[in-house]
Amino acid sequence: MAKFKGRYWLNFSGPKATDPLIYLMSKKFDVIFNIRQATISGEMGLMGVEFEAEREELKAAIAWLEEHGVTVEPVEINTIEG
Amino acid sequence: MSEPFFSQLKCRECGALYPKKAIHVCEYDFGPLEADYDYGKIRAAISRGKIQSRPLTMWRYRELLPIDGEPTVGLKVGFTPLVKADRLAEALGVSELYVKNDAVNYPTLSFKDRVVAVALSRARELGFKIVACASTGNLANSVAANAAAAGLESYVLIPYDLERSKVLNSLVYGTRVIGIEGAYDQVNRLCSEIAGKHGWGFVNVNLRPYYAEGSKTMGFEIIEQLGWEIPAHTVIPMASGSLLTKINKAYREAVKVGLVSESKFGIYGAQAAGCNPIAAAQKAGTDLIRPVPKPDTIAKSLAIGTPADGYYAVNVMRNTGGAAEDATDSEIIDAIKLLAETEGIFTETAGGVTLACAQKLIVSGKIPRDERIVICITGNGLKTAEALDGHLPPPARIKPSLREFDALIAK
Ligand SMILES: Cc1ncc(COP(=O)(O)O)c(C=O)c1O
Ligand SMILES: [Zn+2]
Repeated sequence: MAKFKGRYWLNFSGPKATDPLIYLMSKKFDVIFNIRQATISGEMGLMGVEFEAEREELKAAIAWLEEHGVTVEPVEINTIEG
Repeated sequence: MSEPFFSQLKCRECGALYPKKAIHVCEYDFGPLEADYDYGKIRAAISRGKIQSRPLTMWRYRELLPIDGEPTVGLKVGFTPLVKADRLAEALGVSELYVKNDAVNYPTLSFKDRVVAVALSRARELGFKIVACASTGNLANSVAANAAAAGLESYVLIPYDLERSKVLNSLVYGTRVIGIEGAYDQVNRLCSEIAGKHGWGFVNVNLRPYYAEGSKTMGFEIIEQLGWEIPAHTVIPMASGSLLTKINKAYREAVKVGLVSESKFGIYGAQAAGCNPIAAAQKAGTDLIRPVPKPDTIAKSLAIGTPADGYYAVNVMRNTGGAAEDATDSEIIDAIKLLAETEGIFTETAGGVTLACAQKLIVSGKIPRDERIVICITGNGLKTAEALDGHLPPPARIKPSLREFDALIAK
């Protein structure tokens, strides 16, 4: 199965924001991650990351992150405008 | 013609330089790419007189726009009225107020014609035959119309459950309209994959560095129409925050290339209370934007929960001594009516947001009453007519009788 590469902004906030979510995700799913940028302020964090995985695996990993309160947006956010 | 003015793309985060292609994020840090110019050359090449001798369109500032040759799409866009709004000024209790009226921008009645004119002119230079966008309204209308007039094939992706009038305003131009079922973030992800896969010119994705620069022309026009002065206070609606950052860039560039002398100016951002990620961050004194997962406002054209330029918009407001506000649905409707009743201008909900927020900024003292204020009205009321359903009295109804008429107006 061909690997797919995607670039995402992850936004961490809420009660689980301080859990090691990226580590846990990579244990649970076969996803390579490459962090390019990260900022933390107060109880919120923002991370620019590249994921590489088989497409279905990546979808599942993203769904898992979202279940844990992480907002996952493609770097191409705002593809929809007014 | 070889144009030396627009030189390259540059990462706003790390400053890395990139060639002028259809790319929009930095390979290293995912920072947005922005058009970069040779300001020394532009300074030597343009003057007020030269600009004033050109046709009354946004292209009179073409040295400061990111295309190589002459524009080929949207040649008549821009140079909308800057209205001295004395009746509205009186209602707000301020001394000098102007309305920049892009509700009558050509051809599709919103400021989006400015960004699309640049994006499609550049798309042609880059060899694209198919252009596309994903939108809930104004952008879709503008891409559809300008692509049709330019003979470009176009695709417009929309959430499947949009209002009929918005769909119609794209369909009529013969564009291919595709409704996508699903939540906002899923549609977003699909579109970014399509943009990557099909090699289309997505005006606000891979053409974004070019597209975004078109918004600067609203700022240049304000300066020129004020007799080459930067207004002390400018109030601007925010969805992604791009327009706000680009009006700031326009004011700075006008100084840099010698068109105006430097003066202090404040930039103020306006959002709807039901989708206020940028305004909330500004008020909280942070530049980290907390996404709004489920926007809930009648100002649908501003309902972007994850604003791409939010961080930069907050910083522009902070650095210029400006501020942000947000407005509730009922405040938005009151403001739409106030603008119509005082100045005869019918704006869409986004304009209601801008005026309502301007009002709040004046009342709270963040904008002083005795200095020059410009408010940016960016879209036309006919496109969001349903927002006023139930908020205007029905017309009076009488028999064709003079007695009934006289009785009615005597009331
Ligand atoms: C009428 C109107 N005004 C303002 C905006 C704000 O644009 P930006 O995304 O540049 O902040 C939009 C964007 O969709 C719009 O449609
Ligand atoms: Zn960079």
